[in-house]
Order: sequence, then C-alpha cells, then structure tokens
Amino acid sequence: MADEPVEEKTESSATADEAGAAVEETASVAESESSPEATGGEESTATESAAEIADDDEGVIATGMEADAKAPVDVRPAKTIKPDVRFVREVMSAGGADLKKCYQCATCSVVCNVTPDDTPFPRKEMQWAQWGLKDKLMGNPDIWLCHQCSDCVAQCPRGAKPGNVMQAIAKITINRFSKPGFLAKGVGNPAILLIMTAIPVIILALVIGIFGHYSPARGAIADGEVVKGTEIIYSNFISIHAVDATFTIAFIFAIVVFGIGVSGYWKLLSETVRSAGAPLKGSGLSQLGSVLGEIMTHKRFGKCDETKDRKVSHLLIFYAFLGLFITTALCVLGEYIVHQHSPYGWMNPVPVKWVGSISAAAGLIGIGWIIVNRIKHAARIGIGAYFDWLLISVVAMVIVTGAGSWGLRVANIGALAYPIYFVHLSSVLFLFIYAPFSKMAHMVYRTTAMVFAKAAGRDTPM
Amino acid sequence: MADTKIAVYICSDCGIGETLDIEALQNVASKEYKIEIVKTAPFLCSEEGAGIINDDINNEGVNKIVIAACSPRVHTDIFDYDTLKYVTERVNLREQIVWTQGAGKSTEAEEAPEALSVAGSEAETPAAADAETAASEAPATPPEMPADAEAASAVNENTQEMAEDHLRMGIVRAQKSEPPEPFIEPINRTIMVVGGGKAGLASALESAKAGYDVVLLEKEAELGGWTRKMHKLLPDKAPFQATQAADVINGLIEAAESSDKIRIMKSAAIESIEGQPGQYKATINSNGASETLDIGAVILSIGWKPYDANKLGHLGYGKFKNVVTNVEMEQMASDSNGQVARPSDGKQAKRVAFLQCAGQRDPEHLPYCSSVCCLTSLKQALYVTDSDPNASAFIIYKDMRTPGLYENFYQAAQDNPGVMLTKGEVIDITEDESGNVLLEVDNTILGEKVMIEADMLVLATGMVTNMLPAAKDSVTDLTPDYVGDWRETTTQDGVIREVIAEPVVLNLKYRQGPEMPHLKYGFPDSHFICFPYETRRTGIYAAGAVRQPMTAMQAATDGTGAALKAIQCLELTAQGMAVHPRAGDQTFPEINFASCTQCRRCTVECPFGVLDEDEKGTPKTNTSRCRRCGTCMGACPQRIISFKNYSVDMIASMMKAIKVPEVDEKPRIIALVCENDAYPALDMAGFNHENISPFYRIIPLRCLGGTNLVWIADALSAGVEGFLLIGCVYGDDYQCHFIKGSEMANERLGKVQETLSRLMLESERIEQVQLAINEWDKLPGIMDEFAEKLKGFGPNPFKGF
Repeated sequence: MADEPVEEKTESSATADEAGAAVEETASVAESESSPEATGGEESTATESAAEIADDDEGVIATGMEADAKAPVDVRPAKTIKPDVRFVREVMSAGGADLKKCYQCATCSVVCNVTPDDTPFPRKEMQWAQWGLKDKLMGNPDIWLCHQCSDCVAQCPRGAKPGNVMQAIAKITINRFSKPGFLAKGVGNPAILLIMTAIPVIILALVIGIFGHYSPARGAIADGEVVKGTEIIYSNFISIHAVDATFTIAFIFAIVVFGIGVSGYWKLLSETVRSAGAPLKGSGLSQLGSVLGEIMTHKRFGKCDETKDRKVSHLLIFYAFLGLFITTALCVLGEYIVHQHSPYGWMNPVPVKWVGSISAAAGLIGIGWIIVNRIKHAARIGIGAYFDWLLISVVAMVIVTGAGSWGLRVANIGALAYPIYFVHLSSVLFLFIYAPFSKMAHMVYRTTAMVFAKAAGRDTPM
Repeated sequence: MADTKIAVYICSDCGIGETLDIEALQNVASKEYKIEIVKTAPFLCSEEGAGIINDDINNEGVNKIVIAACSPRVHTDIFDYDTLKYVTERVNLREQIVWTQGAGKSTEAEEAPEALSVAGSEAETPAAADAETAASEAPATPPEMPADAEAASAVNENTQEMAEDHLRMGIVRAQKSEPPEPFIEPINRTIMVVGGGKAGLASALESAKAGYDVVLLEKEAELGGWTRKMHKLLPDKAPFQATQAADVINGLIEAAESSDKIRIMKSAAIESIEGQPGQYKATINSNGASETLDIGAVILSIGWKPYDANKLGHLGYGKFKNVVTNVEMEQMASDSNGQVARPSDGKQAKRVAFLQCAGQRDPEHLPYCSSVCCLTSLKQALYVTDSDPNASAFIIYKDMRTPGLYENFYQAAQDNPGVMLTKGEVIDITEDESGNVLLEVDNTILGEKVMIEADMLVLATGMVTNMLPAAKDSVTDLTPDYVGDWRETTTQDGVIREVIAEPVVLNLKYRQGPEMPHLKYGFPDSHFICFPYETRRTGIYAAGAVRQPMTAMQAATDGTGAALKAIQCLELTAQGMAVHPRAGDQTFPEINFASCTQCRRCTVECPFGVLDEDEKGTPKTNTSRCRRCGTCMGACPQRIISFKNYSVDMIASMMKAIKVPEVDEKPRIIALVCENDAYPALDMAGFNHENISPFYRIIPLRCLGGTNLVWIADALSAGVEGFLLIGCVYGDDYQCHFIKGSEMANERLGKVQETLSRLMLESERIEQVQLAINEWDKLPGIMDEFAEKLKGFGPNPFKGF
C-alpha cells in the first residue's frame, strides 16, 4: 500500500558515528560569538545560549519522540545554530558555486586521503556550508588540512565539488583575517584586477620618478634613449637602494598583516576548541617543527590520487621561492655588509648566481607544469577559480620576467630588457603586498592551521 | 446444445510422441469414452494440424474439441474457436506432463533457458504472456529424432497413466461444458465521476473525449478540488524543476464546463446508487434538488483530507501559534501571494522550519508515507525563499522522498541557497517569549544535536483517504471492510460482534454494504500493483488520492486510467462479458433457485457484492457486477450455482474419471490449481523441465475460491490420497485476482477437518499452499514434499471401496 518504500534520497549512514565526535571540535556559537572580532556585529547579537535554552523548563513540552534506540542519544545540550543564507551565497560566489548540490553521500570523505579518520572532511563542511554555519566553518582548521587534491571533486556523484567549497571557505578565512578588508576584497574581485595591478605599478613608477630613473654619471640611458653598445645595468635604471627600500617596506607590510591575521585566526581556533572542552596539548610552537618538516617534504600532496604529480610541481615552486629568498638574502648581504655589488658572476665563490638561476629554472618548470596540469585536468576537476589563477599568473609573471630580465641583459637588448625588468619588479611588488590577501596567504594560514591541528590532537598519522 | 459431437486430437510432437504411448491414449478416448473422432497428428499447431480440426468442425459437425497437446496458455490464436458455438478443452500433455516427467530434456533443453529467464524475472501475468510467446516458438524448430528409437519408446507407466487420467478429465470436462449464452441487456453508457478535483476532471474530460456522456459531481460549489486552493503547483512537465502557477487548473475547469458531453452537478451528494454496471440508478442531490439518473459506470475520485493535526499536540500544534500544517501554510501563501506572515504577530516569516513525516510513518498516527509531503515542503520552502532573498527554510526529514522525475524538482530546490536540508529527529519543540519556535534536533547530518530557531514551523502532515469520514479517520483503528460502529448481538451461538456499515459517499444499495470495502488504512483499491483503479465493486473505479496518496500529476494520470477502466467495463458489459481479470468471459453463474435454502453463504462470500437478497434471503443476482470467479459456486452447500462450462458436478465428475489403482505404490493426489498464477507457474516448471511426481492429477480452477468441499469428501472416499490446493497469497498483501478467493478456500478447509475425522482420515491430507507466479521453481519441492507426507500416512483406507 502506501507505505511501500519509495526511493530514499538522502540517507547518511555516517551520521550516527559522526554525531558525537563532531561536537568535540566544533564551536559553541554562544561562546565563539563572545569575540566581537571573530564575528560580524550582526551575528553577535546572539540570543541566549543553547545551554540556557535547554535548561529552561518553561515552555518545554514532552514530545514523546525519544531518540531511536539504535541511535546514540546525545545527552549534551543542543547547540543553537545560526543558519545564514548570506554566508551560503558568499561561499558560492567565492568558488563553491555547486555546494548546494551535495546530498551528503560522504563519497568525498571516503575518497579523501588527507583527512583524519575521525569526523572527516569535507563532508561535514559541505553540510555546514549548505546551512551557512559560518562560525563552525571559520573556526575549523580542517579547511586548511585539505590540500586541494580534487579527489573528491572528481568522485562527487552530484558534481558538488567539495574541494572547491573547501577552498572557497579558505578564501573567505583569508579575507576575514587579513586586514585591511578592502584589500582582501579587491584581490578577490576580478572586476578590479586592473586597479589592483595599477597600485604596485604606480608605486614603482613613483619610486623611479622620485629616486632617479637612471644615473647619468654611469651613462646607461640618456633621456629615455637606450645608448647603443652600452652594457645593460639594471641598477643604472633604478637604484638598488630604492628598490630594496620599497620591497623591504612591502615585505614588512605583508609580515605585519600576516601577523595580525594569524594571531586573530589562532585566537578563534583556540576559542573554538576551548568551548568544545578540549584544550590544546602544548603551545603549538612545539608542533611547528614537525609541521615544517611535513611541508618540506610535501607528504600530504603525495597522497593525492587525481593530481599525483602536483606534489612535484608544487614542491618545485616551493623550493624555487625558498631558493630565490636565499638568493635575495645573499644579495642583501653582499650589497650592504660585504659591499660586493651585483651583478654576480658564475664563478663567484658565493654561489648566488647558481642558487638564483637554479631556483628560477625550478620555478619555471614548476609553474609551467602546474598550468599544464590545470588545463589537462579541467574536464575532470575543473579549471580552478580566479583566486587560483591570480596567484598562478603572478608567480608565472615573476619567474618569467625575472628570467627574461637576465636573458635580455645578457643578450643586451636594452629596448626590451628595461621594460621587462620594470614588469618584473611590479609583479614582485604585486606578489609581496597582496600576499596576505591572495592565495599566497595559504602558506601562512595553512601552516598555522596545521600547527593548530597538531596541537589540538587532530591530525592524520602520515 | 442439440447435437453434441466430441472429437479428440492428440499432438505427437514436442516430445509427447516419444514420451507417451499415443495409441493407448487414443484408446482411452475411443474405447472408454466411445468417441468416434480421435486423431493424432504431429504438430497440431501447424497449418496441416489445425486444418484437420477445422475440417472436422466444418464437415463432421464437431462442436466439442478436446486438444491433448500443449498448455492452454499457448497457441491461443491457433486453437481459437467461437466460444458461443464450440467448447474447446485443452489437455496439457506437454508442459505439465511430458516436460515434468524427466523426458524430452534432450530435445527441448535448448529452449529452457529462455523460458527460465523470462519466467523467473517477473511476477505477474505479462511474464506468463512472454513465456507463452517463448513456448509458442517451440514447434518452429522440430525436435531432433532421438538417436535410439528403441530407448525413446520405452514409456514410463506412471507418466502414461498421468496422461491418460488427464485426457479422461479433459473429455469429461468437455462433455459437461456447454457454450455460454451471454447475459445481454440494454445498458446506459453514461459515466458518473464523483469528485471534481484533478483526478475527477481528468476522468470526465477523457471520458467525454472518448465519446461518453459524463455526469460530474462536486460536493463543493466550485470544481478544482485542492488544486484550485494551492498557491503554486508542482511541475507536471519536463524538466520537472520549477513550480507552476495554480491557475493551470482553470483550463481544465473551463474545458469541463464548456463540454456538451459533461453535465456538472455542484454542491452535490449521492443519495443512493442501485443496480449494476450499465444499469445503475443514481439519485443525486444537487443544491437541494434530488434527481435520479441512469448511469453506466462510476469513477470515484473524492480525493483526500489532511490528517487531523489536532492529534499532533506533541509537535506543538495547537499549543504554539506559529506551528501550522502544510495545508495551512499553502492557504497562507495563497492568501498573501507568497508573502507568508506568521500567525502570532503577523511578522514576515523569514526563517521557516518544515518538519517532515509529521504524524506519518508513525504507528500512532499514519503508519504510511504520503509520498507528496517532501515535495510540498520543498515547494513551500521556495515560497519562503522567493519572498525575501535573506529568508531561509529549514527542512528536517527522515528520508527525502521525491519519487520519479520529481528528483529534478528536489535537486532544483536544493540548489536554492535558502533551502536548507538535514536529516534528523526532532526531540523537542518549544517556544520562546517572542513566539519563535525552537526545535531541538538530534542525529542530524550537521554532525551534532542542534537547536534551530525559526519564526514558524510547518508540519508536513499526510493524506487520509476521503473514504473515511472525518469522525472515523483514525487509520490505525478501522473496523474491518466498512466504516461503522461495532454492534454486539447475543444469539444462541453466543455474542456476535459485527460492524454496522455506514454510508460515506456512494450510498450503494448493495447487500454487503453501502461503500466499497476498504483495505489497509481505508483505501478502497482492490490491488494496488496488479490492478490499479479496480475496486471490489465492478463498475466503480477509484482514481486519485482516494485510493493512494499521490500528487496532482499522478491523480490526473489516475483519472485517465480509471476512465479507460470504466469504458472497458461498459463495452464488455454491453456484450455480456466479464471484466478484468476474466475479461471476455461470457459465462456467468446461474442459480437453481428451486433448491436454494437461503443459507446466504454465497451473498456473504462473494468478494464483489454481486448478490443482493430478497426479504427471505434468496439471492438476487446482478450478473454485470460478477467477475466470474466462482467463489459462490464453491460456497454453496447445495451445489446449485453453476456456469455453463464450470460447475461443481463437472469438477466432481472429472475427479471421478481418475482411475485410482488399488496398488499402494500408485497414490493419486489431486492438485487444485489456481488458473491465474499457480497454473502458469506449473507451466513454467514444465518449460524448465523440473520434475513433478507423476501421481498428481492437476485440475485448474478459476480461483481457489471455487473449491467446493463436496469434491474433497467425494474424492477421498474414492481412494484419492490427498488434496493439494495451490493458490495465490492472501492477507494484507494478497495477490488473489479475486481478492478473497484463496482466503475463502482456506477458511473452508478449516471446516473440512470435520469431514475428515468422520472419514477417520488425517486432516493433513489436505493442504493449501500460497504461491506467487514467480515461485515456479519452488513448485516441484512443494509437491514432492506433500507427496512424501502422504506416503507417511499410508494408503487411503477407502481405496478399492
């Protein structure tokens, strides 16, 4: 008759298993909202806490709907959730456009190789995102434990792209903690890419304009005309000191923004854990070493199935940046301490040239590989969001123009060399000042979250 | 029939000739029964074979044709003789004897797997039809001649005896049969549709389109039913994603109102319906005026009512102002054009929670799923999100059930950011001082026990059939078959408790009750899978949510289906033919009233309420209501109810034709087999060359309900070892084509114990088994087991008397 089973759309076998454990690592909204910084003003006008509601005898009626004997009875008080449709839209527009398609089959959590076994991601994040549970998602380090393998994206039967949703939430996390907010918004907004690009360009142009675009004494360029047959020396175009000063300021700016952001983020994560009654084990700093070790080896990337070679390409970029950082450090040392000025020769006892060149080569290969892979995997896991491509483009730009500046200098093509050098400097400045707001910030936030997760005892044994 | 001329034709192919001694078979007919025309031919189904029979019909005046060949279920197109002139009897030598006796395997094995795959995969008559096709192809490939003709000619004695007995029974059956004289009376072809909602409108319009006059009754002042009261409707066209405007129903209403074939009676109620299909007299009260109409068939599309939410106090209904039902929500949305304000303070409801299965799938309330409430909540959730971009709807479900293509609607609604879904169990519902509803929900897929605060809570309550009046709509506490109060009367046999059936809608003047007997939960359908729209009152067909909870789209399909059923009924009745499941049968039960003792067994047991009775209790037939199952024949202790080709005497004579040897090693077991499922199952066992004991004598019955106890007593006293009744599953999930037949047979068997003890016989000598058509593979086991059991009792002491 009518009680014949009809198709069952949404069953979740994992619910019962997850129900208990998830509570431990998720926030009590009432508590997390006590931090005005952590939540918007509107949300902080919270009603009574869940505990108060549950303890309030008035108006409570017996329902007779006792929990099924099979299901574990959660005796803890229910937590008031604050579904927020605006946050759902925010995540959707930040790259998680398909999040509503999720029907909680948990395929994503099953295929994910980097999630902890206990209350695994990204399934729970998908459901929270569908309900717009901002506080739960923001205070959840799992967002960063996800390494965007896209295994879940490829396997999702409904095309909900859980990995993209995780990344969208990561982007929102960056936006929320990296101040000032307008920069974060600007970096994330493709519509104002030109304006955002103009900022570092104008800064550099001003620097060049103010601190002398060239030095007549050394006679490289006269009135904008390239003097033929003359050796190209970039420091003649713009003084190294001016460049260094500009970039040092930019670097410090990024560090400060990161510092503020990370401390805010850490605070929220800690509150989340504390309110769930599970204090941190140790300070977190004690975990930094092991996290850095993991990052050095890219262990987690190695677990990806869909994007296997991403480990190598990302590792190349990672070490390229590390190498270029060392190169820069050596140059600063040379310039200001031992007063040995650039350009450095191949035969220099300090292998600045070698480190820089190898790093640049690694970076070139790495970024090329990443671009090729993105295109290759587009059909299966999607091409990626603006957020991704902005970083990929800037990194590619930095490396290509860097290598180009060297090549053109050696080839002595001044008409191209100086403009390319200018573009190079602009893109590096772009990368620096926007690092806390762009996907570049993942290196800091992910590291923070990984350290936190380890300190909180939430980690996958690798 | 003036001159009876029987001829017997034996087919010698498909393994029959190799397995049986054909000459001996011929002798049974020609010597024992003195039949002049006894012919054997290879492939009777071939052109030449069929030609032999046709020649004899045309030249020799043969009018009773006994064909001993394959199953009567195959080659029905070849052995097709005018039933009004000729009696055709098919003796099933091939499937049920030759193929079940370990013979013919070498020649027929190649077709077996085909038959197996067809037969085993489906459970209803279409499977049997497929199997027929498969089997009918058999003669197309002549079986190879056995390599060793000597070995092949070694005939098994028991198999031969089985075949001979079956031939005897076939001849007797033909002797006792006469062509029918159909019951034909002038009929009225007007179709009365009761209820002018989506289903009723569809029925009325489709009937009118097919050329039939329609009377459309509506109890309210307007047509359109629930659909007219909706704010928006679920999609009913591909891609099934977006809701549609409610005014689409207006098109149907206008079409009905402008049709010259449809007479609409609003504010109408039925005062009475008397008569039978084609000849109903319906007295209708419309707007206070009473009128009697001639009606041919009735479509019942009275729809549903919401479950009484007052019983859902535990969900806050009636306690908290902002807890409403889905029907109330629809009304609120309709009244406010989608801008739903909550009842307590008129504030716009921006956070609306929906609780699915409210009072459903719950043994205390509606134990079933209404199958539309998930869709309704999704639809209403869209009202909420459409009213304000920042509004959201929270749907808490047990299982999200959106059957068929409504999956698309579910997906589309789910894609809406404001529609938030979670599985969960609501463990507490409370209210805060500002009137917000607080739901404590456990076992959610959010991963923890949560408290959800909502401006308003909508309870997704279910559908109750309008077959149940409002005062007696507790579906878990129904009186059997009819709505009514219990009455206890003290008689000499003790206290008798019975239901005083009360009219609800149809007001039938039937002896058995004023409405259609209800099934589980008050739904009137006779069988929800096999025979949709059919009811237990021939000529009355149910459509829409009255028979099963459904959406408006399904109701429209239902209305069309029921209209077709009503038309079939009218056209078959006009020709004196039975309707489903014996569609086309022109026989009908005839009662020899001279011997009637007014015991009323037939009037009580008829599953279709065919028989009324006069003041004395003499049955009054309403032949057009009859489905020709013969349950009355089985019930009658006087044996006075007979069909032209089916009677108590006929079956008893067939049993007498069985030769019961005096030797103990040759037991005789009679299997009474239901023609609808068990008989085809036995054929399938044959297709698959399953072995069956040769001691069985198989007698097909129209329905086990026709089993008359006299057969059992007679046959047992003639030395038959036992009876195996193989019929359909009965009970709540019955499969009986005549609803109560196999159950009645079982009831009667309870009474036969007495007879057996009088005969000093073990009561276990008679057994009834319930078999579904797809359980053919179990048949040999069942039959062997019973034969073994009988062996344990020793021989029937009456043997040889």
